[in-house]
Amino acid sequence: MYGCHGRYLRIDLSAGIAEHVVIDPAISRALLGGVGLGTWLLAREAPVGVDPLAPEAPLVFAFSPLVGTGITTSAKFAVVAKSPLTGLVCDALASSHFAIAGKRMGVDAIVLVGACAEPSEWVAGRLRPTAWWGRSAEETGEGLSHAGSAAAIGIAGEHLVRYATISADGRHAGRGGLGAVMGAKKLKALVVAGDQETPVADPEALARRAADLRARAAGPATAKYRELGTVGNLLAFDRLGALPTRNFQASHFEGASRLAPERWGGERAHRRAACAHCTIGCEQRYASTHDRDRPIRIEYESQFALGSLCSVDDPDAVIEASAACDVLGLDTISAGGTLAFAMECRERGELEGGPRFGEDLVPWLDAIARRRDLGDRLAEGSRRLAKEIGGDALARAPQVKGLEMPGYEPRSLQTMALGLAVGTRGADHNRSGAYEADFSEEVDRLRGDARSVAAAVASEDRSALLDSLVLCKFVRGVFDDLEDEAAAILREVVGGSFDADDLRAIARRVVDLRKALNIREGWQPSDDGLPARFTDEPLTSGPAVGVRLPAERLAEMIRSYNRARDWEDDGHVPTERLAALERELGLRLQAG
Amino acid sequence: MGRPKAWLPWFGKTMVEHVVDTLRPLVDEVIVVTSESLDLPSLDATVVRDAEPERGPLAGLRDGLSAATTARIFTTSTDAPWLRAAFVDELFSRGRACAPVAGGHVQVLSAVYTGEGAALAADLLDTGRSRPLDLLEALDYEAIEAASLASAGAGASAPWDGFNTPAAYLDAVRSVDPEARCEAELLGRAALRADEPVVSLPVGSLGDVLAALPAGADLVEGGRVARRHLVSLGGRDLVRDLALPIGPGERISVLDAQAGG
Repeated sequence: MYGCHGRYLRIDLSAGIAEHVVIDPAISRALLGGVGLGTWLLAREAPVGVDPLAPEAPLVFAFSPLVGTGITTSAKFAVVAKSPLTGLVCDALASSHFAIAGKRMGVDAIVLVGACAEPSEWVAGRLRPTAWWGRSAEETGEGLSHAGSAAAIGIAGEHLVRYATISADGRHAGRGGLGAVMGAKKLKALVVAGDQETPVADPEALARRAADLRARAAGPATAKYRELGTVGNLLAFDRLGALPTRNFQASHFEGASRLAPERWGGERAHRRAACAHCTIGCEQRYASTHDRDRPIRIEYESQFALGSLCSVDDPDAVIEASAACDVLGLDTISAGGTLAFAMECRERGELEGGPRFGEDLVPWLDAIARRRDLGDRLAEGSRRLAKEIGGDALARAPQVKGLEMPGYEPRSLQTMALGLAVGTRGADHNRSGAYEADFSEEVDRLRGDARSVAAAVASEDRSALLDSLVLCKFVRGVFDDLEDEAAAILREVVGGSFDADDLRAIARRVVDLRKALNIREGWQPSDDGLPARFTDEPLTSGPAVGVRLPAERLAEMIRSYNRARDWEDDGHVPTERLAALERELGLRLQAG
Repeated sequence: MGRPKAWLPWFGKTMVEHVVDTLRPLVDEVIVVTSESLDLPSLDATVVRDAEPERGPLAGLRDGLSAATTARIFTTSTDAPWLRAAFVDELFSRGRACAPVAGGHVQVLSAVYTGEGAALAADLLDTGRSRPLDLLEALDYEAIEAASLASAGAGASAPWDGFNTPAAYLDAVRSVDPEARCEAELLGRAALRADEPVVSLPVGSLGDVLAALPAGADLVEGGRVARRHLVSLGGRDLVRDLALPIGPGERISVLDAQAGG
């Protein structure tokens, strides 16, 4: 099979040894790479019910058939493990030369099991003590760059913060706390390098297609990302009553205009950059006025989480908090979500000495990353903190399944509300882009219904496909027919007879596999839903004032979603489907 | 019209607020009959949902009359910019069911009904009759020539006059204030091309408003809002129909269509 090496590298950190393990070509064809292949490896390698931070818990780095080709935005890898936040399957993607260098090792994935006896790094095919413990991931990567491309953790990962990231080339596999999984293994960095090419089935046709895609990716379909980046969402969401504010107590932020880069004019140093093998160049870097020589990458999710959600309206403060998260290795969404929740708890007298709305976040982020004082409790994430506080605090913790919510107010984006409620990873905007339907005439965003269900299912399937190919979601608008064009790409890379129906089947298979694995690991129907705040309280200000998301409406949408997936009404995957997946993929998915 | 008449702006209020506020000092109770799906602004009124919209206006009238507790009930449509107290008082002063007749047409939705109307309307519906005029006739109403009503006004500003097209609505607005203006806020990429993020413009159709904006030509394609952009009306509805009227004091926001991360 072209485009793949048909094997993965299994590194046992306890023993300090590595071996190659064959991957059946049928598996590569059934799941492609990235999230699909990574989930399969997790299901295969993880003992049922394993603690995410136990040595036995696997940590998977999965590449894909498109890595190393000239297809724009394909230099991505997926990190897959059980999440220390949710206890369920978690996958996080990053764009980096790490993907290209890793695949050039002649493998389709790397699986880490076991744990090092002391802080270590894996370099040039062997394990050795690391001198980088206590340093940032960026410093570590630069320090080890002579040996290859590094995926590394920051200080937060070392301290097992449950929302620590893994970083490569300054890009983070950010969500779900996979950095803590790596930290629990006492592995500071995984350094990869190699020289093995991956032949493709039709190099000439692929080169033509890659050139065409590059040209289209430089066109109007990606103009928003290129010209303004995701930060362009902030003011738009505010004006639509969809900007989470003060721990989701409001959906409109008075300080939004101050935080919006399109209102900054030329007052800040600005630079644009691109990930490895990307021709879009969405990365927008802005400097704090306190340090004009150091532009910091800012994204909407960081602006919202460290800005409006925490009622911080000083752009410098948000840029500096975002930079601190990068350096410490913290997921900005979970960090901001947990802090905002703690701020509301403090206001209510439930968390003595906690942070206050509008406060400088940097000292708190540092305390979290080092688990210092109250930071130790905040490092556990909002759900665990809410359970510790007790009472009705859990109703206000901004999370689903333990993963903090991204910057989409569910009451005024009710298709996205469904996507957030049912996501296998938890509250998630990358595995469900259901908000796209909300920002269209396709649905009534203030009143979810059957149209919302269909849109949410389609969005999840599209994401599963993009995350398994792997391609950046920012190219999605470039394709007239994603499945059809992706099938053509796969025919040229992998060979064989892929068509659009095959790709739709792959997407469904990946979604089913993730759900089945979650069920094996303890998912319950009650895990699908939103915190009670969102179904009990109407929006009380802004353009969406008075809008409600009644619990019955959300429950009906969840039931309809499960039916649309051919699952049982409560979300369980039918036994026959589980058995078919087990046979097809050679996995054990049913507990007991 | 392309958008609910109840929500059309009318000089600082929505149209339904204008009507409710006009009636509120004149009557014991105000009842608003609306469809199941239409959200309304907060009103000093009882809101009744039309239980059988498929049966036409008489069914809605029945539901409204059933909710009323008074002997006589004045009815009006939502699009009644020229509704005024003197007119309502003058109809009530007749002491019975009555309706103006203008140009040979009985103004059945600018009329007074009596309390027994609810039961009569139900009976009429049961026999397959669905016109409000049938109910007025069953109530032995008084037909009043418009010219004989001192409060009716003249020309296009009669209390029962509404509007059924965007142009008619905008004409009504301009007849009150020829300088009436709306606002457009430019967000995202559109803001990068503009000197000011908020632009004040004369009221007009959405197409007129967009055409007057910086780089307005980029915002329109194929007779609709360009697919790379979105337009929000007042932060709630997302619209693409260029014929939609944008009323006085109203704000549209021009957004990038690729919202989200």
